[in-house]
Amino acid sequence: MRKVISFLLLAGFVFYFATLTGGLLIPDSSADRSSVGLDILSRSADETGSANAVTSVVVLYRGFDTLGEVTVLFLAALGISVFMKSTGEKRKKVLDQSFILKTGSRLLFPLMFLFGMYIIAHGHLSPGGGFPGGVIIATGFFVILLTSESVNFNKTLMSVLEGLAGLSFIGLGVVGLLGPGNSFLQNFLPLGTFNTVFSAGIIPLIYAVVGIKVGAELSSVVYAMKESK
Amino acid sequence: MVNPILLIIVPLGTAFLISLTASFLKNSTKYLALLAMIANVWVSIKLLPEVMQHSINVVIAGVKPPLGINLFVGPSGAVFSILISAAGLLILLYSFKYIEGDSQHKYYTLFLLLITGSHGMVLTGDVFNLFVFFEILAISSYILVGYEGKRNGLEAAVKYLILGSIGSVLILVAVALIYQEAGTLNMADLADKFGMIDPSKRLMILVFFITGMGVEAAVFPLNSWLPDAHSSAPSSISAMLSGFVIEVALIVIVKFVYSIFAMTEILGFLSLVAVITLLVGEFAAFKQANIKRVLAYSSIGQIGLILFAMSLNSTGGINAGLMQIVNHTASKSILFLVAGFLIVRTGSYQISDYRGIAKKMPVSAFFFVIGVLSLLGVPPFFGFFSKLAIIIAALHTGSIFNTVMVFLVLLGTVIESIYFLRIIQVMYNRDGIVDSVKEAPFLPLLAIAAFAVVILAGFLVLPQITGYTGGVASEIVRKMQMAQVF
Repeated sequence: MRKVISFLLLAGFVFYFATLTGGLLIPDSSADRSSVGLDILSRSADETGSANAVTSVVVLYRGFDTLGEVTVLFLAALGISVFMKSTGEKRKKVLDQSFILKTGSRLLFPLMFLFGMYIIAHGHLSPGGGFPGGVIIATGFFVILLTSESVNFNKTLMSVLEGLAGLSFIGLGVVGLLGPGNSFLQNFLPLGTFNTVFSAGIIPLIYAVVGIKVGAELSSVVYAMKESK
Repeated sequence: MVNPILLIIVPLGTAFLISLTASFLKNSTKYLALLAMIANVWVSIKLLPEVMQHSINVVIAGVKPPLGINLFVGPSGAVFSILISAAGLLILLYSFKYIEGDSQHKYYTLFLLLITGSHGMVLTGDVFNLFVFFEILAISSYILVGYEGKRNGLEAAVKYLILGSIGSVLILVAVALIYQEAGTLNMADLADKFGMIDPSKRLMILVFFITGMGVEAAVFPLNSWLPDAHSSAPSSISAMLSGFVIEVALIVIVKFVYSIFAMTEILGFLSLVAVITLLVGEFAAFKQANIKRVLAYSSIGQIGLILFAMSLNSTGGINAGLMQIVNHTASKSILFLVAGFLIVRTGSYQISDYRGIAKKMPVSAFFFVIGVLSLLGVPPFFGFFSKLAIIIAALHTGSIFNTVMVFLVLLGTVIESIYFLRIIQVMYNRDGIVDSVKEAPFLPLLAIAAFAVVILAGFLVLPQITGYTGGVASEIVRKMQMAQVF
């Protein structure tokens, strides 16, 4: 009986939702609304010097949100380290991985690291940036942690990197605040030549610190989960 | 002019700095947190007189709204910033003696991030940015609830996490619908364009937003997480969560209903929900034997009272609700902070174990009584004036519905006074069975005393306080306009 009632409620809710949001999946282009998105698309290249419009939105137009998102990730990593306290002792029995797996992962790691760096450094030119690049670097650590029994993982270094990267993000913003623009996260560097690595002012710098932060945080999350009981 | 963005980046930057220096500063990182909180109190006090003249609009990344993100600081932002940073500073001082253990730096990092999220929610002028700060606030409070790592704390944290996540998904859906329908995320721009949206979709955005935010604000059917979370968190965190976190979520709801969505037709429903919240909270508190659960349920009752005042659709009502928020922040913080050391000293959460404890901990018991009396609304404490203002504002509307609601609110106060006076009776019982119990240390008592000064001396500066809350109230009832932002 309870199942029937809950099914009916759910069906009613779905029906209500579907009727109200009929136009949600199909964007009605006929509506004459000024949209912020179109506005940004038409001016981002000139204003920010970034060839990748998405990056200009993530790092500049909504850079303050990105600072918040980085903080949310920082919080998640911190939460995991609070709840999954390291037991301090090595696990009794670690499965002995095969020689091929161990050597293969060691071979793979530098390549993944390099690829992650590339993704971070080219965030303002091609799809990618700090978040995916940082995840790729962390995945490299993940492969190493999974395949070898004992890793010299420096937890202190990771927390120093996290803090330093976060502070640099805010520091870059504060330089803009003190500069002539008098606005937090203002792009205070010259925009450079469009579509080259050294362009778009502070965007690559911010993406670099985001990349370091995401990489360090996800690596310590993986480590904390491996070490916990 | 001090830049309001400092209120957000100072605690956030200090949180990162603590993470950077934790390996060699160890537990001394708490002094960094202290510096950040003092800076925040100073900035918010400097800010208040300025925004009473005219609201401040802070452009971020040099991009003018609606394309970029802005902070929009009116009287409500400044008043709540003072409330958050002052209560935060005092609770931080309390934590110095209350929080023990090796990895305290994690506690102080989370503490500062909770402060960051609260400030961000009241200062931002952008709907999606509001969601981001809501997430920071919510996630840091999930972790802090389970910080002690005890079984009931972890259970409460998971429960809070599940309900809170559902709430934030609903807010995100509301934000997505807003962007789809209005093509903007800026609050002032949205206020201009919201009337043009199809009425059924407008209602849907409103419902999703209020339901999502209502989870954090602990409005009646959505508050099942609160008694567990507020009672099993460390007491300093309970004081923060009850003292200003739920109020911040509530003021966001009120601000959206009045000045952004301008859909005041929902207010009748909200005041009904508010009175149900109040009665449910007070009746549930009546039955509890665990002191922190009594206080947690009482917070539900109080949030109902505040919401009732704020949904009267009048400046006087919002003004009265704000006064009640100030009263609740001060008095509930006192009660939770005193309860923290009662629990530490006796090792028990049960009220019956505190028989005669007033002899051993006279100062704590004295402050507990002050907190209770102000919460009940006994003159000449601050709570009397705020409750009186609520009743006057409700009767002033002249509707029969509100008159009936006032009787229910007074019924709630009667129940409240029964269970609180019962606790005091136990504490001041002559034949005490408690022995070898020491008074709480000096620093926590100092923090508690500072809260007590607010409710004891509040009536001396009542005209000034109502001047500021009146400014906030008239800001909230007025519809936001894009012209204000530029």
